[in-house]
Amino acid sequence: MKKPERTSVLGTEEHALAMIEDGMTIAIGGFNTASHPMTLVRGIIRKGVRNLTVIGSTIAGLEIDMLIGAGCVKKVVSSSVTGEAAAPIGPFFRMMAEKGEIEVWESDEGILYAMLRAASQGLPFMPWKAGVGTSLPEVNPDLKLFEDPFTGEPLLAVKAMKPEICILHVQQSDDYGLGQHEGSGFGDRALHWAADKTIIQVEKIVPNEEIRKDPLKTSIAYADMVVRASFGAHPFSSPGYYLVDEKHLAEYVEAAEAARKGNWKPWDKYLQYYIMEPKDHIEYLERVGSRQLFSLYEY
Amino acid sequence: MVANDYTHKEFISNYIAQRLQDYDHIFVGANLPVPRTGALLAHFTHAPNMKVSIGLVRANLLNERELEPHKFSTDYRMQRWAEAITVHDNVFEKIRDTITVFFIGGIQVDKFGNTNLIGIGKDYKHLDFRGPGTLGTLSCSYYCDRYYIFVESHSRRLFVDKCDFISVFGHGEGGDHRQRLGLARYNAGPECVITPLCIMDFEPETKRARLKSVHPWSSVDEVVENTGFKLIIPEQVPVTEGPTNEALETIRSRIDLEGLLQ
Repeated sequence: MKKPERTSVLGTEEHALAMIEDGMTIAIGGFNTASHPMTLVRGIIRKGVRNLTVIGSTIAGLEIDMLIGAGCVKKVVSSSVTGEAAAPIGPFFRMMAEKGEIEVWESDEGILYAMLRAASQGLPFMPWKAGVGTSLPEVNPDLKLFEDPFTGEPLLAVKAMKPEICILHVQQSDDYGLGQHEGSGFGDRALHWAADKTIIQVEKIVPNEEIRKDPLKTSIAYADMVVRASFGAHPFSSPGYYLVDEKHLAEYVEAAEAARKGNWKPWDKYLQYYIMEPKDHIEYLERVGSRQLFSLYEY
Repeated sequence: MVANDYTHKEFISNYIAQRLQDYDHIFVGANLPVPRTGALLAHFTHAPNMKVSIGLVRANLLNERELEPHKFSTDYRMQRWAEAITVHDNVFEKIRDTITVFFIGGIQVDKFGNTNLIGIGKDYKHLDFRGPGTLGTLSCSYYCDRYYIFVESHSRRLFVDKCDFISVFGHGEGGDHRQRLGLARYNAGPECVITPLCIMDFEPETKRARLKSVHPWSSVDEVVENTGFKLIIPEQVPVTEGPTNEALETIRSRIDLEGLLQ
């Protein structure tokens, strides 16, 4: 009899993108200016996926802004879309929210985690206190006031929203989907637990025995698919690997700001040059250039 | 000795530092240099046991001679100071383990200390200005022991009679509104509002904003002129207390190395 063999979950960009379709609810990891799964985000734009509900990290970065600018997004679920010092408010987020062309699931970080916890635990909603008395339940239909059955005190019911797919950028994994973050991993675990399926893109693939050296470090156990993507969080940072590419982010923000003010040409140019024309991640990196990429190291 | 060659930003950092106590748990972000400096100044001068989260790094920084600033709160180089790392979703499992004192901002602040980070306009679907969003301000300000409203401008556009939207509940419609909603479990609302012109606190009965002190470079008239709601003005309005030479020296030599407060 043939010895049973363990099945690798290693996939390609194409395999991963085949799982992402119009109208899905998709969670996108990372935080603020770090660790967004940009290889897959650019792939989603290139594929022309539409009407997504995107659950960003509790403080989403400009990866969500980019998806909005490319016309992929119907609804944004996050407490904020920001590039910090690079852009305090995502330009496309601001413009499309002001025009009413995207829906915003208004929340704060605590409320967003309460929502994800409800989704993880298969509960219809999770109670949360902060938010009572504010405008949030007036502008977000998934937040409803109710009475604590024990004390009668007003509470907020935060309705669960289940991501069908979660995409994350993780620093390393073996080919069985055992992902290990460098640094904290931000809120990636909460997104992973809430989702039906998780795809991780990684800086490097390591052998299983490397994972077993420090199993406590395994932050995403058994991702459904692993995609190799070194420099895959560019232009954002990837802890232990590279810092934010401030020059590239500035180029993006300038193009997005111009679009917000009515001049779409710089954004069209950015979109074509960096996202639509490269056929895959490697071609994207070639366009950014090795000199630029290798200037992003800590020392 | 009281200094006189401070910048306005150094002055306000020092005011913030004086509000902070030993053993406070505080979160220090990257892109608000004034509160960052205030927190670290307190840590270096009178709060040696302060639990500092700098980005997601937890650290005691007393032995760090100099603290180089970082542009992004996700900058992993801060990890060199770490004695623990916070997994972000864990913060919200028990906020009070990471944050007992907090600073919030706003694009609008009203006379009852309610604040707005959502947007400006009458119609939520078609805002005149889409704000940055609520971030963690709502949950953190509910759970902490003390929170402060900190703004970097002082205008009638910012200080309004009523916020278009409320993202953080201060005193609602005043009086005991906060208690009635069960929101006073951990704190009784904002301690004060720190602006570039003055400090406001809240009148204990009505919970309406009241002028507490004016900064040395400003005046009661200037504050009233630039405030869009009717501020309670006590008979005596003191001048906000300024930094000592020693505090300034600490700011300049150990914390504000890039001169962001100059």
